[in-house]
Amino acid sequence: MKDYNVIGHSVRRLDAVEKATGTAGFTSDMKLPGMLYGKVLRSPHAHARILSIDTSEAENLPGVKAVATYKNTPRELFNTSATMTFTVPPLKPVLDQYIFDNVVRYVGDEVAAVAAASEKIAEAALKLIKVEYELLPAVFDPLEAMTPEAPVIHESHKKNIPGGEVIQIPYGDAEKGFAESDLVIEKSFKVPVQKQAQMETQAAVAQVGLDGKITVWSTTQTPHPTKMILAKIFSVPESKVRVLNPPYIGGGFGVRIGLSAKAEPIAVALSMLSKRPVKVVYTRKEDFIASDTRHAGYVTVKLGAKKDGAFHGFYVKAILNGGAYCSFSCETPGVLGCMALAVYRIPNQLYYGHSVYTNTTPSGAMRGFGNPQAMYPIESVVDMMAEQLGMDPLELRLKNIMQVGDPWALPYKCSSTGLAECIEKGARSIGWEKRGKLNQPGAKKLRGIGVGVGTHCSNAWPWCGDYSNAYITVQQDGSIHLATGVPDMGTGTSTSLPQLAAEVMGVRLDQVSITFADTQSTPFDIGSHASRTLYAAGTAVVAATRDARRQVLEYAGDLLKVPPERLELQNSVIYIAGQAVGDDCAGSGVCQVGESERKSISLKELAYTAHLRNKQFIGIGRIVPENAPPWHAHFAEVEVDTELCQVRVIKIAAVHDVGKAINPMIVEGQIEGGVLMGIGYALSEEIKYDEKGKQLQDSFHKYMLATADDAPEIDIMIVESNDPTGPFGAKGVGETGLVPTAAAIANAVYDATGIRFTEIPLNEERVYQALKEISK
Amino acid sequence: MSDKTLKFTLNGEPMEIAVSPSDMLVDVLRDRLELIGTKKGCGKGECGACTVIMDGEAVNSCLVPAMKAMGATVETIEGIGSPEKFHPVQETFMDLGAIQCGFCTPGMIMSSKALLDKTTSPTSKEIKKVLAGNICRCTGYVKIEEAVLAAAEKMREKQ
Repeated sequence: MKDYNVIGHSVRRLDAVEKATGTAGFTSDMKLPGMLYGKVLRSPHAHARILSIDTSEAENLPGVKAVATYKNTPRELFNTSATMTFTVPPLKPVLDQYIFDNVVRYVGDEVAAVAAASEKIAEAALKLIKVEYELLPAVFDPLEAMTPEAPVIHESHKKNIPGGEVIQIPYGDAEKGFAESDLVIEKSFKVPVQKQAQMETQAAVAQVGLDGKITVWSTTQTPHPTKMILAKIFSVPESKVRVLNPPYIGGGFGVRIGLSAKAEPIAVALSMLSKRPVKVVYTRKEDFIASDTRHAGYVTVKLGAKKDGAFHGFYVKAILNGGAYCSFSCETPGVLGCMALAVYRIPNQLYYGHSVYTNTTPSGAMRGFGNPQAMYPIESVVDMMAEQLGMDPLELRLKNIMQVGDPWALPYKCSSTGLAECIEKGARSIGWEKRGKLNQPGAKKLRGIGVGVGTHCSNAWPWCGDYSNAYITVQQDGSIHLATGVPDMGTGTSTSLPQLAAEVMGVRLDQVSITFADTQSTPFDIGSHASRTLYAAGTAVVAATRDARRQVLEYAGDLLKVPPERLELQNSVIYIAGQAVGDDCAGSGVCQVGESERKSISLKELAYTAHLRNKQFIGIGRIVPENAPPWHAHFAEVEVDTELCQVRVIKIAAVHDVGKAINPMIVEGQIEGGVLMGIGYALSEEIKYDEKGKQLQDSFHKYMLATADDAPEIDIMIVESNDPTGPFGAKGVGETGLVPTAAAIANAVYDATGIRFTEIPLNEERVYQALKEISK
Repeated sequence: MSDKTLKFTLNGEPMEIAVSPSDMLVDVLRDRLELIGTKKGCGKGECGACTVIMDGEAVNSCLVPAMKAMGATVETIEGIGSPEKFHPVQETFMDLGAIQCGFCTPGMIMSSKALLDKTTSPTSKEIKKVLAGNICRCTGYVKIEEAVLAAAEKMREKQ
């Protein structure tokens, strides 16, 4: 394999010093001269019409500078998600939200906002706003919301299906496939609301200049699309809106693809009204109840197989709870379906799925984007099939998994797969041969082993618009500046993208600096979502750097009097291929034959020479990414305490085909974090609602995410299939750690207990009920 | 309530500041003294992002009324190391990939330092117990635990 100088190495993150010393800038840390603090009044009701709203007392409170309601803010419909900016015709984005409306549709929906000299004054002012509501009937379950008698949540979407969009993906003839199968298994599952629970809550600081220019520092994962959404809401040219991260974001996991809930438009509206900069930082409770969650829902899987284990028919149906507003509710069931159909080579398939409006917190994007909702049910049914066929679950999977070049339902090729290797390595790590043999008769603590596999995408094309641009400018001293519109929400973009640039250019990493996540100083990029940043933005960075390098070599060729094809550029020195590096030409072949006066020139000297002749090398990368499937196999060993009804994960072996690890340490971190979030999805994380639609989990203490104390042994292994489409062979890795974790754990719990759970998380309550059931 | 004068030692320097008795330490540090390295993730003592060391103990500064710091010695992330001389736990967090989004990092580092100030031979279990009060949503805690163990080793070597 080729040796690389910069990529493939676990270099220290370029943002490490700032973050380890507390000097890294986050939106919630910002302070501007004259800045006010914004607070939001939220609906206590799940569905109501605002009959009257009186803000006069709040406005008269000393220190209050503005109060915003539906009466004095733009009545421009939008969608908080970036889907508003990249939905490709004939599909149309669903626009169903105002900043404030006179109808509230879930507990936590925005009613009004106040800007004041301090947070305390703003909070006090909220209490002085008098709102009279007319309560409307509410519905919280997607299946109930589909019945004829269910209340209509948006007048323009009569059947409560956002955009009326029902996704069907036929491939072959599923009915024929089942008829021709020797064995057919069908099972229905229920999946919960999971919350991103990123560490920095939704936040924005808006400054509206008296010249009308709008600057917004925020936690968005997609500065450029967010600029487009804000320009639309406030009817200003996009060129007058600047959106940037300052420059860091305290996590994302999908929760701010587009707007950061409504932090940006509320801050801008308050800034327009008060003519002062305004900062809006959601409390943790607001973040839990009024910012997108993962889609909960119902997923049915029907799988048909021949006696020899060959899968022959497949049907997946998903009805997802979209919550009160659309956000990504048209796209999520689509990706769920695509990923469901992509893992196994099955000639006859059908997917049917859609979201349903309910009076709950809007569902949107969260790490995995429908894929975990698909793979927990599918991998459960695959294990059931293995048991009924009397086959080893690994053998059954290895027999059916997609291979390179196989036809499939996806709109791009299966360009690479290392899944078989992932399965083999993971099985060795977990000790697969122990499966089913871990327990003594009568044991109160039961151990089990399970597996889950899957794939994902490496960007959103061609489902959604997806393209990247990058600039490379060679500075006058030969160092390199990279500009890209993507953020770094913790995923290491601001290190791995410079690694790509340094490798391509032929300079050390410390010669590269990066500007990112700023619409004014970087070219358009869709942003960070869909596991795309390294793959897609990285492809643009490679293209831009190649462009700059070509210009450098052409210029050097003129100076050195050799054709550029004969020049190399390594360690910031341009030299003639095959010749020793050095300024002194004496003794070198090229000088003896008189074809050149020098055999090399440093990039520093070249750049300055060019500068004195009025030239800078500027590379531009403009790409539309292809797409590529990352693959993964997770193996879980669990212990089920039948007395305490607790499931504990002992070990996860997570093997991932990432194509090529540009920074293996960062890749491991992505997978480990995904694994832990997947453990939470499997065992404890869930937001439930009371009968009036109030969220029962609205804080870290109530929402049980895994802590350091819950973290099991995690064995990460990286498989590199070197995808032909990705930068240096890389594929997406941001989401995959979460995708098959719940599946592996649920299958391990079955191995331990013989109980096939059809609903997660496997918390004490569910385990207790199930154990009680089987002891009857 | 009228303001009171809070006197304490902050990162080795004497500090005197007028605060309201209802102010929390985290807000005095962040808003008044502009030490923004201490983060606020929940304001309810549930996430540990605001962890500082007060008289040798790691505390959630969002739960500490500012006046409780009267006469105390308080250390924040800004006071424990810099590029000229990082604290060993800062070094190992940086080198071993224990930092991702960075929002939990100051609190994580302060909790880790408080532990290492007491013992330079912590077990994995002790580390996990101590860090269970600091939520990180990006990592799987694997590299954080490795970083604390490695920092402990560095500190033992120096002793």
